[in-house]
Amino acid sequence: MSEPQAMPRDWIASTGEIAGFTGKVIRDVYGLRVLRFFGEALRQSGIMIVSSTLIIWAMMFLIGLQCGTVGAYFTESTGASAYAGVFSAWCGLREFIPYAFGYMMSAKVGTGIVAELGAMRISDEIDALEVMGVNSITFLCATRLLAAWLVLPFVYVAGIGGAFLASYIAVVKQVGSVSSGGYLLIFWQFQNPPDFLYSTIKAMTMATAIVLVGCYYGYNASGGPVGVGTATARSMVLNLVLVHLIGMLGTQVFWGANPRAPIGG
Amino acid sequence: MPGSLEPAAVRGAAERALLPAKNLLEEVGDLIILTGKTINSALRPPYPYGGEFVSQFLFTLRLCWIPLLVSTVCINYAAPGLQAANFLSIIGALDRLGGIFGLAAIREIGPLVTAIVLAGVAGTAITADLGARKIREELDALQVLGVDPVKNLVVPRFLSLMLVTALFNMYTILFGIFGGIVAELVNGQPLGPFWVTLFNNTSTVDVWGSEVKATVFGAIIAIVSCYKGITASGGAEGVGRAVNQAVVVAFLAIGAFNYAFTQMLLATHPQVLVIK
Repeated sequence: MSEPQAMPRDWIASTGEIAGFTGKVIRDVYGLRVLRFFGEALRQSGIMIVSSTLIIWAMMFLIGLQCGTVGAYFTESTGASAYAGVFSAWCGLREFIPYAFGYMMSAKVGTGIVAELGAMRISDEIDALEVMGVNSITFLCATRLLAAWLVLPFVYVAGIGGAFLASYIAVVKQVGSVSSGGYLLIFWQFQNPPDFLYSTIKAMTMATAIVLVGCYYGYNASGGPVGVGTATARSMVLNLVLVHLIGMLGTQVFWGANPRAPIGG
Repeated sequence: MPGSLEPAAVRGAAERALLPAKNLLEEVGDLIILTGKTINSALRPPYPYGGEFVSQFLFTLRLCWIPLLVSTVCINYAAPGLQAANFLSIIGALDRLGGIFGLAAIREIGPLVTAIVLAGVAGTAITADLGARKIREELDALQVLGVDPVKNLVVPRFLSLMLVTALFNMYTILFGIFGGIVAELVNGQPLGPFWVTLFNNTSTVDVWGSEVKATVFGAIIAIVSCYKGITASGGAEGVGRAVNQAVVVAFLAIGAFNYAFTQMLLATHPQVLVIK
């Protein structure tokens, strides 16, 4: 706070640190060193499935309802209620389903990792691992990243199904502005497999960033029990900024120049 | 004697199965009780929380403005900006993009992004702070000294977060519209039609609906974060876990309230839907 250059300098320094840490973890996974602890990775996958999946789906379902509601009322006001499917397909699959996934991932999985690893760091368990000759970054962080890559595509794809169902409920059952067949016809016309693939890529990029940020803040927590809480809170700041940045870049890259809609010639 | 053992076993199994539901209901009840207590002690005469209110207000402003700025520009540039501009340019109506921003940036995305960022940034900081005080037994010490933690810690956070969310909502909307302008310029359009359709299609209901929604979001975030903070337990892990749970509960509550409020606002105010 004393000098104006201090803040940007700190930011640049911590960006570099996070990049270095991220590089180490990703090298461990791609160098297949993580396979030495494949059992641990499977255990982490199990934990992720049991503890986080339902909550992530719940958030995606709520966003699906929201897209459906807004879409139904908006298309009704333009006099084209039959086209509610366009709004819920684009709003959901392309934009807000990945955002909802990113929000809940950073809230549930990201902060969960920080709290867990931070507690291990504070109670010197990570140092104990090093003393025992176990590479702690591989054992703790790389296994979690591998677990996320194993589990989350399936979680995300199932969550898309839930959100589509939610949009359907909101448009057809609640607002009732369009018939079931008419809604589904337009809804499926206005999306295609590349959209689905790009949406999944967007969400998986977010998930990777969130897991890595969580591991970094947890692994480097300091300052006693209070420090764990502070690190958990600070990781959320970076997570949310990254989720929005990745969302924007994804849209720009995948849909910026090509709307991919079945209109015109 | 199998006959006498069975009911006990069944009851045990039922209790185990219903335990999560019971815990959930208990927590919801606790949150509602804390809300009532907070509102009650905010209104009752001794008002010792002025200083804490101001410092919390400034703390939240300082913490949140950069993440909020980045988030709102990104999401508004991408979602209603690029995607809607894609659709409108196909049907040759790119000058109507401003109208979509009245719906998207003001009524929907503004409050949602404000709430998500404040829950993630300010809410977690509140939980970490109160949780650390709980773990160090400072809250118990305050009670021994005759200082009411709800009145002196929860009430100022509750009030300041409601105020800050309502103010930040305006800020989010302004920068969201900036994101829309960027999208319009990227598509090589003049800005005149954007402003005209934006101001024509935005009604007062849109703006006050957005503000009311954001204020209630602030209240939800404050109550959930404070509750998780002052009930934290279990040493080093406990504070981290409390922060984790606080942000999860806050996000779900925000999503649920958002849906209910939007559905109600749109159904009861059909005039906001008229396109001009």
